[in-house]
This record gives sequence, C-alpha cells and structure tokens, in this order.
Amino acid sequence: MRIIIGMALMAPFALGLGLGCTGTIGDSGGTEALPPGVPPADFAPPPASMRRLLGRQYHNTIEDLLGSAAAEAASAPGDVSLNGFDSIGSAQLSIGLSQVTAYEGSARAIAAAAVADGSQVQALMDCEPPGPADADCHEAFIRRFGRLAFRRSLTDDELSRFVAIAQAAAEAYESFDSGLEYAIATILQSPNFVYRVELGEADPHADNRRVLTGTEMASRLSYFLLDTTPSEALLDLAEAGGLDDAEGVSAAARDMLDEPEARAAIGAFYGELFRLRDIETLVKDAESFPDFTPELAASMRGETLALIEHLAFDQKTSFVDIFDAPYSFVDPTLADFYGVDYPEGETGFVKVTLPDEQDRTGIMSHAAMLALQAHSDGSSPTLRGKFVRESLLCQSIPAPPNDIETALPADSDFKTKKEKLSQHMEDPSCNGCHRVMDPIGFALEGFDGVGRFRTEENGVTIDTTADGADLGMLDGPSGLGAALAEHPNTVHCIVRNFFRHAVAHVEIEGEEAALEKIDEVFETSGYQLKEMIVALVSNEAFRYVGVER
Amino acid sequence: MSRSSKRGLHRRTVLRGLLGGGTVALALPMLEAMLNPNGDHLADGAELPVRFISWFWGNGKKNAKWNPDTAGVDYELKEQLAPLAPVKSYCSVLTNFDNKAGFGRRGHHDGVAGFFSGHPFIALDPNGANYASKFGGPSIDQVIADAIESQSPTYLKSLQLAVSKRVTKGEGPTLEFLSHRGPDQPLQQKFNPQAVYDQLFGNFTPVEDPSAGLRVHMLDAVNEDAKALKKRLGAADRLRLDAHLEGIDQLRKQIAALPPACTQPPAPGQTNSDTDGKEPLTEVARAMSDLVVTAFKCDLTRVVSFQHNGSVGGTVFHMTGTSTNMHSLSHDEPGDQAHVNGAIVECMESFAYLLEELMNAGEGSENLLDQSVVLCGSDCQEGANHSSKDQPAIVAGRGGGALRHPGIHYRSDSQENTSDILLTCLQAFDPQASEVGSAQGLSTTPLAAIKA
Repeated sequence: MRIIIGMALMAPFALGLGLGCTGTIGDSGGTEALPPGVPPADFAPPPASMRRLLGRQYHNTIEDLLGSAAAEAASAPGDVSLNGFDSIGSAQLSIGLSQVTAYEGSARAIAAAAVADGSQVQALMDCEPPGPADADCHEAFIRRFGRLAFRRSLTDDELSRFVAIAQAAAEAYESFDSGLEYAIATILQSPNFVYRVELGEADPHADNRRVLTGTEMASRLSYFLLDTTPSEALLDLAEAGGLDDAEGVSAAARDMLDEPEARAAIGAFYGELFRLRDIETLVKDAESFPDFTPELAASMRGETLALIEHLAFDQKTSFVDIFDAPYSFVDPTLADFYGVDYPEGETGFVKVTLPDEQDRTGIMSHAAMLALQAHSDGSSPTLRGKFVRESLLCQSIPAPPNDIETALPADSDFKTKKEKLSQHMEDPSCNGCHRVMDPIGFALEGFDGVGRFRTEENGVTIDTTADGADLGMLDGPSGLGAALAEHPNTVHCIVRNFFRHAVAHVEIEGEEAALEKIDEVFETSGYQLKEMIVALVSNEAFRYVGVER
Repeated sequence: MSRSSKRGLHRRTVLRGLLGGGTVALALPMLEAMLNPNGDHLADGAELPVRFISWFWGNGKKNAKWNPDTAGVDYELKEQLAPLAPVKSYCSVLTNFDNKAGFGRRGHHDGVAGFFSGHPFIALDPNGANYASKFGGPSIDQVIADAIESQSPTYLKSLQLAVSKRVTKGEGPTLEFLSHRGPDQPLQQKFNPQAVYDQLFGNFTPVEDPSAGLRVHMLDAVNEDAKALKKRLGAADRLRLDAHLEGIDQLRKQIAALPPACTQPPAPGQTNSDTDGKEPLTEVARAMSDLVVTAFKCDLTRVVSFQHNGSVGGTVFHMTGTSTNMHSLSHDEPGDQAHVNGAIVECMESFAYLLEELMNAGEGSENLLDQSVVLCGSDCQEGANHSSKDQPAIVAGRGGGALRHPGIHYRSDSQENTSDILLTCLQAFDPQASEVGSAQGLSTTPLAAIKA
C-alpha cells in the first residue's frame, strides 16, 4: 500500500516576496507581464456553487438581523458534511421537503418573535405607518431589511412580491405589523437568503474565471471571518468599491479579525474540524467511565478552544505551538480531572503547566481530543492515528480491504490495545494502513478513553514508544508533539483546511500555485494565524471563481 | 375486521375535502369507507394501495447463524432468523447473491449503496481531505416513490425513519442516510418518534385560519424568487434548486390538504432520549413501527425507509451485555462473536415486530403485510469481512399479490445480481419497469423465484 500524501512539500518561494504582493509574473517564456493584482494565466479555480448557510451561520445571521428573541426562535435544518467539511456539503448537496418545511417553520417563528419583540424591527423602520396597510411604509422596511437579508439590494420584482405579501397579511389581520411579519417570513424562506449566491462578474483578463462582485465579496468575507451576514456598513463599503482589490479586502479583514465574532468563528471552525462540538453529546460507557459528564466534556472542549484562541489572537506567536505547547488551559473542573491545582482568585480558563509525569504536550494530549478519538469503553490508537493523518497532516487513508477476515481467534487474550492491534498488523493486507495510523495512537496510550492519564492497562505497563513512519520514532505525547510541529505537512494542512472551509471545495490543481503564496506568508510571518488568514482572503483563490464549461 | 361501514366514499371525494371542513377525524381507517362490498378493492374498482418499506441494519449477518441449509418453503429459521417465525410465510430469504454494484472499492459503502440502489457509489476524491462517498443514483425506495406518485400521490411522498442515533457522519451521505433522491440529495431521517408523529399529523391547518392561505402565498413568492435565480445559475446548481422547488411544491400541497379521515392515534410519548448513555433501541424501533402502521392505515404515505442502526456506526447493543459498539465488535470480538450475534438477533426481533404489526392491521379482506413489499438488507455479508457477496436479503409481504406466498428460501447457484431483487420489488408497483441500477449493478432480469 502507498500513503497518498496530499501535498508536495512546500515549494519555497524566493524570500523577499512581500506581504500583499500578488502580482506574480508568469514563469514561462512569452508570457506577458501582468498588471499588478491580476492573477497569472494558469490560475484556474473551479466553478462556484451556491452555498446553503450553515446552521451556525443561519443562527448568527438571524441574531444580527432581528435580535436575540428572534434567534431563539430560529431552528435551521442540519448540516451534512462532505470530505469532512460542512461547507463542502453545503455547496454540493440539495435539500428537499424536509428542509423546506424546517425553513418555513423557522422563518415563521422568527418573524413572529421579531415583530413581538419589536426592537430590531423598529430600528430598521424609517417611517410611521398611517394605517394598517400602508404600502409605502411596508415597502420602505422591506427595501432595507431585504438588502440586509439578501446581502445585496432587492430587484424591483422581489420588492413588489414581498410588498404584496405584506399587504395581504396586513389586510387579513388588520395589522401593519402582521404585514411586516409575513414579509420577513417570506424573505427568510427565499433561496436568495438561504443560499449564498456568489457567481462573480466577467474578468477582463481571463475568460476561465470571474471575479466576485463587491457585495459577493462582503458576504464571503463576513461568513468566513465572522460566521454571520455582512453588516450594513460592510455592504456600503462594498457597493462603494472598497473590496474591489486585494488591499481593500486585507484592510477590511484586519478590522473584522478584531471583532469578538472572529474568535467565535475560528472556534466554531475548529469545533467542526476537530469534532469538538460533538463532545457534549459524546457517549461513554457509564461503567468504564462513570465520571464522564456533559459538564466535564464542556470543560475539555473549553481547554482546546482556549489554547487555539490564545495562539490565534492573544499574542504574535507561532500557531504551530498547538502541536507542542508544554502548557495548557484549565478551568476548575478540568484542573481536578488533570490533577493540577487551580490558581486561587481566578475564574474561567487559566494557563497552567501540567504535571511532568503526564507529559501532556499540544492538542493531541488534550482530554477532548483523546476522548473524541476513542471508543465508548476504551482508547483507540487507530482512531487517534487516523485523525492525525487526515485532519492534522492532510493525508487521506485508503480503504480497508474487502473480503478479508479480520476477526481474531477464539483464544485471543490481549492485555493491552497495543498487543491486540499488533496482531492485526501481522496481516499484510491490513498493516499498510494500520502501520501509519496505530503507532501515533500508541504514543498516546498513556491516556485512556476519556483522556485520563494512566501508566498501566490490565496490569501491564504501557509502552508509548512506536515507529511513526514519516513522523520518525515516537516516544510518548511530547515526542509526537515535536514530530508534528516539525513535519512539513502540518502547516501546509492548516492552510488547506482553512481554505476548504472558506471556499467550500477541496483545492484543485489550478489553485495550488495561489495557495503556495499563502503558505509563504504564513511561514515568513512566523506562523501567525491572523497573517495567514489575511493572506488567504486577499488571495485570488478566495476572490475569484471559475466558469462552468 | 368489521365491515359495518361500507359507505362507498370515493377516494377522490375525501381528498377534495367534502367532509365538512375536514377537521373531525372519523373513528375508522380511512380506507374502509372507500372499499367495495367485498373489501378487496376500492369502491371504484381500483386496486388497494401497495406500500414499500426498505429496512436496514448495519454490519451484516453471521453466515452460520443466518443462512438456511435447505431451499424452498420449508426452510428452517436459524438463530438470527428465528424471530421471524410468526411471519415466516410472508418472508422469502435470499442467499448467495452478489451485490455487483459494490465491487470491492470500499467496505460498507459498496454494500449499502449497491444493495439499496443498484448504482455503484460515487467516491469524492479526497485529495488529502477525509474520504467521503455519495450514492450513485436514487435508492430503490425513491424510485418506487416516484412510480407511486405518478399514479396516486399521497400526503407524504415518503417517510424516512431511523432508530439508533449513533450514525457515521464522517464519510459522506452513503453511510449516513438510507434514502437518496440522487447522488446529491440524501433524505434526512427522523430519529424521534414524536417528531415523526408531528410530521404526520402536525401540519393540518383549520380551513378558517387565514394563515394557511398566506403560507401558500409566501411559498408562491419564494417559488418566483427561485425561478428568477435559476436563470443565473450553472447546470449543477439548477438541479439543486429544482430539488428545492420540488420541496416547496410538496409543502404547498400539504398546507392545502385536509386532515386524514382516520383515527388519529395518541402521541407516541417516546422521544429517543438516552438513559445513562444507553439508547432505547427496542422501544424506539417499536414506536417507529407503530407509526409506520398508522401512516399506512391513514394512507399518509406509501413509502418508508427504516434505518435501524447505521452503516458502520457507533451503536451499542447494550441489551446483549456489551459496552462496545457493534462495528468494533465485528472486527475485534474473538471467536464466534456472541455479542455480534446478539445484536443481529435484536435487529431481527425489531424487524419481526414491524412485520407482525403490519400483519395484524386489517385492510378490507387483506392485511397491511399482504399489501406491502418490505426489503430488508444490510451493508455487507459479515461485518468482519466487508464482503458484498452473499449479503443478507429478505423480501417480505405479498405486495398486493405480486410476490410469492408462502415465502421461500432461495439460494442462488449463480451469484445473481442483488439488483434483480430490486427490480422485482419495483415491478410490484410498476409492472412496466424494465431495469434498475447502472453499470455493474444494472439489472434487467427480475427474480422469478419470488414472483407470484
């Protein structure tokens, strides 16, 4: 078997290519020098697909548009992930009756709550209705609310459709507000709200791609960086041309990354990528792990998100430290679980050094990651190794073989997981993959199925050394952390994972050269995450879409 | 069953809503009022409706405790099939077929997509991301739903149910969902019996409520929006918007529909919540089965997909005395795998419960199992080997007279295509249907052995 390594090692670009310098010159003879800011001719992104708002984006959008009472009434249909990303599923899969019904029910509940609450609706009203069915005042509200909801100005047809609904409802219920309610409920069911439509406009320099319009760019930027709809101010900026070049996008992105929603959005992204959002509903066998409660699970998730937020936002440090940080963050619940003292006079998550003998180093020795990548009644070296390969190293694992009997002999008696899996690894049709997954997990066998430190399993001393193939010889959690921090795939993979989420597809060959420019900015910044994100959103691969042939 | 009420109502008059506003449910199954005096046809001479169920459990069988040794009517029920004893005459057990659409690319994916659709699954090139796959074409329940809808549409075109919530979500729609309109439209299943009840009975609006008309008005406006948007989109997105528009159209019809003229049962009172981390598998499977019977009696739908436990999945069959999920056990439990066996027996007990409830529900001179085709299968032969050869397969029900009764054990001596079984099921609804599946999975030859 061969491992499909999803990358060529980072091709080092000439150092000195500065930040924001996107005017790469074509490399082959006969290529004309391009004007600054124009992507090279071989840049070829795939066609855009409309993207259904993710559940969390739908919820945040309602909160921003109509307030928290409305958001509480919202219930979006579920997300379906493809290739590990909700956004990719949202750009490829269709919905039917079940989701349409959910959107209808949600839109009606939101509209009723928003009108009952009134505060946010009033803030969007520029007129005082003289009677229950005042068309002008309905129209004024719909024009303004509709632009925010559709993330662009309404067409005349759309406006007249929604005003007609408002009028019909106002007459049926003899109430101006009922008109508003039904107009809101209609707009929130429209595909123009439910989907982000980012089709771009013709690029004068190439016919195989289109450049996003200002308002499309505002939408893409806002949903990626903040997980919510563009603000009225951002739409104004976009319509005035403020997002038409890479510099404008960079400047807007830097401002947005200072918003608190940016922290939440990056947390939600890692919650999805690392499955952290699943931990509170994670089921553990009550007999094996009686103390695993939703409260403890929430504290575990909090630790990993606290480290990510710290490295991404709190200091100009290398984000690569997520793999080998010799410190972490605990709240009182997790401090107790880890057996460390929680500092007096503190609240929430506090940076601490963990006990030396546990050797906890980087995210792979966080309890959340260990509990998620495990069975309900014990650890799983295979699941832990598979996660590291796929989600941290961007290496796809081939299919397990068919028609091979994998069951173990009746007289099998294995004291440790490592012994048992070593038996599987005897089989030549299995060991090709298990040899690259399981050893990573062996290095973490000092942590049980919920991430508690242990030194023995069934009376046998646990051995945390293993041959990690391209990761080298591994020796416990710190050995694994160091190997991950040094492996060239890990930083490459951080960029690819953010990119896949941001543009809702797995990168294709025609984008690779553009992505390498992001890799390079990441490296020259000393792996500061914010610098990488600014480079990503101002890159052509974020700002352009392909053309369907 | 009682035949005291033969009022000869025409089915269409009920659907048109001449029952005085339709807000009062009649205390008898809707269909009884619409039967002919013999109770074997509708009053207008039309055939009684035939229903379809696809029933799935993940991780296969154990050959030694499943496959009958002898063929024909008098086959013996080994341990895993023993729960079917009360309904055995309605069951044909099919062994040694080959799921030809699943030809060894990826275990479980091959098994479920090939068996339930006849189309090879579509692998999504991971290029360094997680592996994922989609069905290669519509699942058989949706092909049949289309055939039924073209003849006599029901309130719900089809209903998707699931029992265990521990479904594998990381490898794409193939493992997560059982019903697929096509590669890009998996149909989400409901895990909560109370939510299914609400779906069946909760959307009816009293005719005097102005919101019903306004809801239709809103959907019409949304429809106009979608049509305008569609003009700007590429081909793939136009198809996606068409699916969305189909959903809008179906919801619109539901809002305009009257409540079914049948006894509305009490709410199930079962929400599929865990206790101490244990799923109420048996209880939910029964509640869901009861809802299927209700939906059929009231003729709210004629097509159901029923996912007992997902492909691979993390389902722990705690009632067998284990804390390890069935998929892990299928690879790791040494010897003859007593816990895997116990899980399969539990699945078959739940399957048998559904069949018995259908059999006990009379419809005119027949019962609902007489009037159903139930296809039961899994995603591999045995969990331990991931093979798509000799996957478990049962076809139950008489299909309104289309299927052989009493049922048989039929062992294929030539490893016939499992798609042949799908085509046989489809022809019970559309006798003109000539093929199912595609590529390696294509079948043009129904399985004569189980046809009436």
